[in-house]
Amino acid sequence: MRSKHSTLTWVDKNRIFLLFAVVSIFMSLFAPRFFNVFNLTAIMKTVAMNACVAIGFTIVMICGQLDLSIGTVITFAGVLGLVLKGPLGYAVSVPVAIAAGAAVGLFNGLLVAKAKINSFIVTLGTMTILQGAIYTMTKGNTVSLSTPDAFVVADFLAKPLLPLVTPRILITVALVLVAEVFLRRTRSGRNFFLVGGNRNTAWLAGIKTDAYIIVAFVLSGALAAVGGVFFAMESSAATLKLGDQSLMYVLSATIIGGTAMSGGKGGVFRTVVAILTLEMLYTGIILFGFGNEVKIFIAGLILATVVLYEAYAVYKHEREVGKRPELVKELEAAAAAKTAGSPRR
Amino acid sequence: MEKAVAKAAAVDGRSVGSNRLGGIVNQVGIYGVALLFILLGAALQGAGIINNFLSAQNFFNIIDAVALLGIVAVGMAFVTYSGHYADMSVPTTMALTGIVAVELLSFGFVQALLAALAVGLAIGLINAVVVGKFKANPIIWTLAMNYVTMGIIRFVWVNKQIYPDMKTDDKLTVALFDNIFRYRFFNVVGLPVVVMLVMMVLAHILMTRTAYGAQLKLTGSARKAARFSGINVDKVVGIAFLLAAFTATVGGLTVTSLSRVGAWYNGAGYDFRAVTAVVIGGMTLAGGRGSIIGVMGGAFVIGLMNNIMTLLGIGTFSQDMIRGAIFIVVVGINAKSLRSLGRDDA
Repeated sequence: MRSKHSTLTWVDKNRIFLLFAVVSIFMSLFAPRFFNVFNLTAIMKTVAMNACVAIGFTIVMICGQLDLSIGTVITFAGVLGLVLKGPLGYAVSVPVAIAAGAAVGLFNGLLVAKAKINSFIVTLGTMTILQGAIYTMTKGNTVSLSTPDAFVVADFLAKPLLPLVTPRILITVALVLVAEVFLRRTRSGRNFFLVGGNRNTAWLAGIKTDAYIIVAFVLSGALAAVGGVFFAMESSAATLKLGDQSLMYVLSATIIGGTAMSGGKGGVFRTVVAILTLEMLYTGIILFGFGNEVKIFIAGLILATVVLYEAYAVYKHEREVGKRPELVKELEAAAAAKTAGSPRR
Repeated sequence: MEKAVAKAAAVDGRSVGSNRLGGIVNQVGIYGVALLFILLGAALQGAGIINNFLSAQNFFNIIDAVALLGIVAVGMAFVTYSGHYADMSVPTTMALTGIVAVELLSFGFVQALLAALAVGLAIGLINAVVVGKFKANPIIWTLAMNYVTMGIIRFVWVNKQIYPDMKTDDKLTVALFDNIFRYRFFNVVGLPVVVMLVMMVLAHILMTRTAYGAQLKLTGSARKAARFSGINVDKVVGIAFLLAAFTATVGGLTVTSLSRVGAWYNGAGYDFRAVTAVVIGGMTLAGGRGSIIGVMGGAFVIGLMNNIMTLLGIGTFSQDMIRGAIFIVVVGINAKSLRSLGRDDA
């Protein structure tokens, strides 16, 4: 009984790695044209962007908050990086775009931590403001660059050093590793979990909770901008729908990866593995010959299933908290012994 | 009207705020803000910057323009009042119900509307069970539900926009569907406005005069206390989500009829707009505070704001930015005054 229970817990805890194994093996075996360098490179291109964004989003979620503005920050940074490249060059425009993302994050963080406004409402507001800003900046057109030096940068970012390993993927991997080590191995990193687990307790333990929440939002904004601007540079173009899919994508991955919706539990590496798994799944769906519509449908279903599963697990747990089955059994046994014993006396 | 608002504010205990700015905002309520906007508009017209602001025609335009938002905001208000922030599945609920109605027009006008209502309520029921009973995070769940519904629309109808005359040959049905929400009583008041007013009156009565309203208020203020006093909180919260789905359905039918096309993008943005109307109308995200009268004022203020910005010649996208900024400022003031009462919004 107990061993079965602990096996289930182990499976649930490591579900994302198991899912990753299942999806990758299944797709490699059955999906047509899945396991080849060209397709895997295409997968990695999208993964590199969303993985980057997911780092910050996961940290915000670990803090028990929600950042709905990541999708528009991606687009905003991508567009800004390319628009400013004309007069300033990438050396200036890319840092400016990332700084802009960080500024959006700072704005969110200050309002959430200091003004004590609910994070969902703050980021919904910044999302609307940024959407307006994006359209005002581009007048509704796709921004694309066709100067030779832009192509040089794009080629450099997309050129594999080893099979599959492009400089952009290296950047993403480095960021993921730094974030994972920071969260697991440093005191300040672990404090994020405390803040998300119980803000009041964390504060009483001497942690500057406000500062941690602000930093989490700044990281989320900055990393979303990094993801957006590098993707735009590699494509030498930024459409106004660049980050549209990312919120659903990253949100699904974060929850599948095991980060708790209520905060205090989770990890960046798991989220990134989930991003990889989801991208393989979605690409596989397309390769099997289904349209984009089927992909959108299944993506929504996956997110809903996972949220429902998590919510139901908490619901079941809460029903069982405080129940003492062994005590009930003992009492029943005592009562039975009493009724069995009484006639004799 | 001012008196009624002051009374509502007193009943809510909102006037206790010791914070001066928040206190003032709470005292005069959203209608004070509306008055400010009207004065602003009048001043701009007096200065000759805009024309035709102070005219009966313009005020009817404003009310016409916010009718749809008002309808959707009524249902959203119940969700916010119950302490569950917002129903983010509203946009695709609107789109899907509209599409279903158009698709099924060949079975008759009433049948199509009933089918749309059934679909909308089904979405609401799912939200009600998952958020009410299983206590899923309301934002994340309804967002997921929004994506699922969008997935269904894209899966079944791909990217197609469907027009009523494509689906049925019965001219009368098509004409009825295309024109019903354009009907004007006495050639002045449009049907959407009447629908909005009726819904607001009913919602106000439901919230203030019935047992359900009292239960909802207690559930929104303190869910645990409500549960221990014997209220079936799961059901109370569930009904709030059903009401939100119901008004989203009515809104979806309105927008589909007005635009005369069923499409996946109908209703886009109405999640944010409805939350804005609810929140700047004085209903706080902590739940259990505010009133439908306030929400009505919130919708009206948004209409006024849009009208002034359009008359000033500000572009649609810049308007988005200004709306977002004003929204955050208002929520900030609300949160500040709440904290002075000892209640955090977060």
